[in-house]
Amino acid sequence: MADAPKIDPMHQFLIQKIWDGPVFQIGGLTFDMSITNSVVAMFVGAAAMVLFFALSAKGQVVPNRAQAAAEGLYNIVDRVLVTPIIGHHGRPYIPYLFTLFCTIFVLNLMGVVLSVGSLAGQTWTFTVTSQLAITATLAVLTFGSVVLLGFIKHGPKFLTLFWVPGMGVAGGAAMVVIELISYMVRPVTLAMRLFGNMLGGHVVLSLFGSFVVALGLTAMSGGLSTLLFIPSALSFAMIVGLTGLELIVALLQAFVFTALATVYLNEVVNFGHGH
Amino acid sequence: MAMQTEDHAAPADHAAPAAPGHEAGAAGAHEGTAAAGEHAEGGLPQFDFAQWPGQILWFLIIFFGLMLFVRFFAAPKVGGTIEAREGKIAGDIAEARRLKDEADAQAQAAAAEAAQARAAAQKVGAEARAKAQAELAARLAEEEAKLAATGAEAEARIAKAREAAMTNVSGIASDTAKAIVEKLTGKAATAAELSAAAKG
Repeated sequence: MADAPKIDPMHQFLIQKIWDGPVFQIGGLTFDMSITNSVVAMFVGAAAMVLFFALSAKGQVVPNRAQAAAEGLYNIVDRVLVTPIIGHHGRPYIPYLFTLFCTIFVLNLMGVVLSVGSLAGQTWTFTVTSQLAITATLAVLTFGSVVLLGFIKHGPKFLTLFWVPGMGVAGGAAMVVIELISYMVRPVTLAMRLFGNMLGGHVVLSLFGSFVVALGLTAMSGGLSTLLFIPSALSFAMIVGLTGLELIVALLQAFVFTALATVYLNEVVNFGHGH
Repeated sequence: MAMQTEDHAAPADHAAPAAPGHEAGAAGAHEGTAAAGEHAEGGLPQFDFAQWPGQILWFLIIFFGLMLFVRFFAAPKVGGTIEAREGKIAGDIAEARRLKDEADAQAQAAAAEAAQARAAAQKVGAEARAKAQAELAARLAEEEAKLAATGAEAEARIAKAREAAMTNVSGIASDTAKAIVEKLTGKAATAAELSAAAKG
């Protein structure tokens, strides 16, 4: 225990202050605007995203690799999600969904690609999307926008979304309750899914990383414990494999979040003729 | 943020030994979580709600910045490029189709022209052949006519000669008869008797 670092897989999620910022209170909430590792990671991710699109969006008819990648990401939102699910009326919402997709993806990706840095004590290599505060913000923002849009476009008629026809009055009323609950659960599941995926993956990665170091250090004490190099190496192999898996999860969770947002949006945009 | 020192702060500092210059912040954060009473071993730092407002506000600022960037630069640029490419491909295909149709029409016109030329050539050939044949036939007829004329002339001459010869023959016959009659009877027969006898 003297040399081995403490096994604390949750430490990587700890918000750590880097520079002090203004602190103010609005309505009983204390806004600490200090620059934390989380905020730095957000800025790094945003900068990476802006830089990527600024450099890759060349508008060439025959795209180079970077432009093809950017167009591939755009087509995931446009051709895979919005156009098939919503149709032509969904075009105005592409910028929001594309921002959602790219932001989640880049923040997820940073957490995986730069997770090595957190082992090296670099606090700015932080998985922003492993913060429930952030995933909940995205979920509430998306869900709230959809509901708001529903009332703006359809007024009180939007509430008929919860009315299942052909059930009678009593059955219909019961269904309204069920539909309403299932509707209100949406932002919770949106937030928890992304949060849980990022949290779980990084905890497992961190645990295996700790095993590599702890078992390796014990093995170095010589004697029979030298054999512990074997599980240490296996743990390292697990990290390599899991990192690959996490790369897939990073893209997949961004896709799932955006896909669900598109489906929710579809109910509002194609209200009354999509059921 | 509460600044009381707990025994928890020591391992927290120890856990981030490779982050010099961050100790103060790290310790502060740990104390904050400790003060929230949640950060036991394995407790989730995500549920330290004291961190939420600041983090959320920062995230919203950055997210809206990104939204503006995507709305006014990335989406129109990337989406516009894709649409422009598709438009160009569709236009190029339409243009190629138009050119192909044009080429097909030209090929058809050329084929029609060739057929017409062939027909004209055949007509000319046929005409020439007919003309040559007609000429030949005319020449043949002319020659035949000439031959016929010569033949007829020759026949006429022969007939005349024969007639002359026949006349001579009857003359000879009457002369001979006259001589025979004179020798047999001693007196000359008259010319009328002789000619009747020669004819008979």
